[in-house]
Amino acid sequence: MKPFGYVAAKDSEHAVALLAEYGQGAKVLAGGTDLLADMKFTPHPPPEVVVDISRAADLKGIALTDAGLRIGALTTHSEIVHSAVVHQVAPALADAAVVIGAVQTRNLGTIGGNLMTCVPSMDSGPTLLAFEALVTIAGPSGRRTIPLSDLFVAPRKTSLAVGELLVEVIVPKANLYKPTAFQKFGLRKGQALALVNAAASFWTSEGLFSEPRIALGAVAPTVIRAPKAEAYLSGRPVSEEAMAEAGRIAATEAKPITDFRASADYRRDLVAVLVKRALAGAWDRATPNQKELAS
Amino acid sequence: MAEDLDVLDKTRIAPVDSLRRADEDLRLPVVARPSTLPLEPPLVPQVGEQTHAVGLRAQRPDSRDHGLGLTRYIDDIALPGMLYARIKRAGVASARIKSIDISAAEAMPGVMAVLLGREIPTNLFGTSIVDQPLLADPIVRQAGDGVAAVAAVTEQIAQAACDAIKVEYEPLPGVYDAIEALKPESHKVHGGDTNVYAKKVIRQGDVERGFAESYRIYEDEYYTPGIEHAPMEPFTSIADWDSNGRLTVYASIGRITLARVDLSKTLHVPISRIRVIGTIVGGNFGGKNEIRHEPVLALLAKKAGRPVKGRFTRVEEFVASTIRHAFFMKYKTGVSKDGKILARQIRMILDGGAYCSFSETTLGKACILSTGPYHVPNSFIEGYVVYTNKTTAGSMRGFGAPQVCFAYESQMDDIARDLKIDPLELRMKNFFRDGSMTATGQVLHSVKVIESMQNAVKKFGWETQS
Amino acid sequence: MNVTLTVNGEIRSASVPPETTLLVFLREHLLLTGAKTGCDIGDCGACTVIVDGKAVNACLMLAAQADGRAVTTIEGLATREGLHPLQKVFEETGALQCGFCGPGVILTSKALLDENPDPTTEEIRTALAGNLCRCTGYVKMIDGIHEAAKMMQSATPALPAPEQR
Repeated sequence: MKPFGYVAAKDSEHAVALLAEYGQGAKVLAGGTDLLADMKFTPHPPPEVVVDISRAADLKGIALTDAGLRIGALTTHSEIVHSAVVHQVAPALADAAVVIGAVQTRNLGTIGGNLMTCVPSMDSGPTLLAFEALVTIAGPSGRRTIPLSDLFVAPRKTSLAVGELLVEVIVPKANLYKPTAFQKFGLRKGQALALVNAAASFWTSEGLFSEPRIALGAVAPTVIRAPKAEAYLSGRPVSEEAMAEAGRIAATEAKPITDFRASADYRRDLVAVLVKRALAGAWDRATPNQKELAS
Repeated sequence: MAEDLDVLDKTRIAPVDSLRRADEDLRLPVVARPSTLPLEPPLVPQVGEQTHAVGLRAQRPDSRDHGLGLTRYIDDIALPGMLYARIKRAGVASARIKSIDISAAEAMPGVMAVLLGREIPTNLFGTSIVDQPLLADPIVRQAGDGVAAVAAVTEQIAQAACDAIKVEYEPLPGVYDAIEALKPESHKVHGGDTNVYAKKVIRQGDVERGFAESYRIYEDEYYTPGIEHAPMEPFTSIADWDSNGRLTVYASIGRITLARVDLSKTLHVPISRIRVIGTIVGGNFGGKNEIRHEPVLALLAKKAGRPVKGRFTRVEEFVASTIRHAFFMKYKTGVSKDGKILARQIRMILDGGAYCSFSETTLGKACILSTGPYHVPNSFIEGYVVYTNKTTAGSMRGFGAPQVCFAYESQMDDIARDLKIDPLELRMKNFFRDGSMTATGQVLHSVKVIESMQNAVKKFGWETQS
Repeated sequence: MNVTLTVNGEIRSASVPPETTLLVFLREHLLLTGAKTGCDIGDCGACTVIVDGKAVNACLMLAAQADGRAVTTIEGLATREGLHPLQKVFEETGALQCGFCGPGVILTSKALLDENPDPTTEEIRTALAGNLCRCTGYVKMIDGIHEAAKMMQSATPALPAPEQR
């Protein structure tokens, strides 16, 4: 690796101060699994200083708060997989976390890092988008909370300004327990990048889809929602056919590319299948009570 | 600033006491070494006798050290004063080097030696056709070709020096497909008038008559891609000269004698003055059968006057080593009404990549085995290896046997389906028997393929499958 | 910068450049060469070590990140009394061939068994997804891990792990 400076932040406040001090020259290290892999073989010059936030205790942890489920940006994928509260209120987050990398990378990699790397195939993104998650960003002028969808700008580019830091992800209280499922398809079972991933969530009201949310990964420059498919489902009776049709509509909303892993056509086909499965998975997750209301 | 860069505000360092371990803390287990095979009775069988080793349980003698992490692989070895080498890779697949500027690299603190292809006494090696330069000069034929090498006090500096080397290329046309490479108008990777560099033809009986007598004839095409061995341990070697001018190379290499020959030829050093120490190989699969960068390391070591270690990155492992040949195969098979193979005509094109390596061996074995374990009275086999501007193909487990197996067994299944014969039965009908003659005219003895198949079928329950 | 951490129960420190990974720190500064450099990018798992009870890729962690933490390497598993059950069964079943992936596989398995003393085959396979092995095909490794799990459950801890001392 090329030489760089290093400074460890004690907490988020210290981290923000350090980011202000170093400005453009700083790179944030959370879990390091993406940053180090990138820095090792990149032809680009190294950052002036790596700001290691991995010791900032206030950025860790999973807890239920007044706002909803709060996941600190430094929470590792393994911690999400093993979190009892996640399994209780938003189990799809664990489904998405358990397919990221391998055990070793899940033990190091963080949810904040996964989001901030902002690659289209990230596995954390679709489920959180389906949950309409919020993210809190700390900066020199204080904190602000924005919808997660406003974080993603382009591949490897977020809307954070220089000196800002992602501190937490919040699943809003209204969406806790919302039946949600995540689906991923890679070239292997283990340690694979998603060719396509997808998440779907919906409430049911008197047998009808209510507030359906569909999110897709690896088929556009960023993780995206599929608004047309959502609109199609909204207010329609819950049925397998509707789920399949929503998948087909979502496939028209995807803008996949052809690369050495898969062709665009193949990815579009996958979108249709994975969206259908995600919707069916969410339906499986609906409590008997919810299903009863629906039928 | 300096303080900021330290971890938090820590002043701790390890107390000397904690390093002073009592004898009972020494962690090497005192349990017995793994059992090895008994020496009595002798395991080497006499003529006509079964070896006594069959049925005995043996443990690998080296697995204890593997599990303890004590096995000394090549990258675990460091010599005093050792430097680290990096090789600058072309990154373009077909080009002529117009100029190389190494001045910035040489001026870099910590850089002890820089080497170019023209400085290598004989800048070519190869196991049959000697066609591969150690460092391209002046023609680059694959993206993984090295163009310059650096030895420095750390790998980091060596890499920075490689990055600082400026190479100017004149792009050349390239050829990236084996079938394209056969066309007369294709770019000739090594000049001349053809990209074909090895050919093999095997004839047995009269294939035309066989087809004429056939009930049905099947013509199919098969393709298998190139495959990297991807051993867990990347190529690594250390070169060290002693004060008497003798060279010792420590290398994770499977064929030390071949390595000595190639080192001797490329360096112009008598073979008696070259010692190659083969370290425990962390995965070979055929990919560590020949030299790779050892003469370059030796020359860097000579220039710098210090031992030099060079290790491939995982990327180099894919682009600058060898891979399994991609095969394009055409199979034409004539069978009788009851499913007996009467004639088989096979044409195969091997994508050899930029250099020959073990292509001739691979082609030979592929052709010899291409009719499968089946009695084929009339056969005509022709195989060609062609140069392309891709990663060099070389030896890999089976030397071409798996590729042709994919083709002939795929076709057997198709034939069985078409003739509505059980695929097992079709094979049983055609298997070699004692006294069968292969395509090359070899008469076989001790043929057990039918019994082996019967056993296999029983074990995985073929009858219950369909 | 100075990095101080506990390795196999001992406090060790070294002054290293910031870009030093934990893997380089262990291999080149502490001469603990059991962790291997296979891909250096977090794919192959040959560099797996255990940091604070969790299996991690030492190549994807800066030494500085491990400062003040407890690291277990393959060199810390066996005691004078004997091999760790995993080392013992891997030896007996022939689960290691070229052996290059072995230290990583054993440490991943140890971390798994410490968390989950009786894993299913599926759980073992999931745990080993980050440890590539090109020789064995994993069958004997998975058998061996089941076997070691049984040994560790039935036996009194005759083989204390170093960090427990």
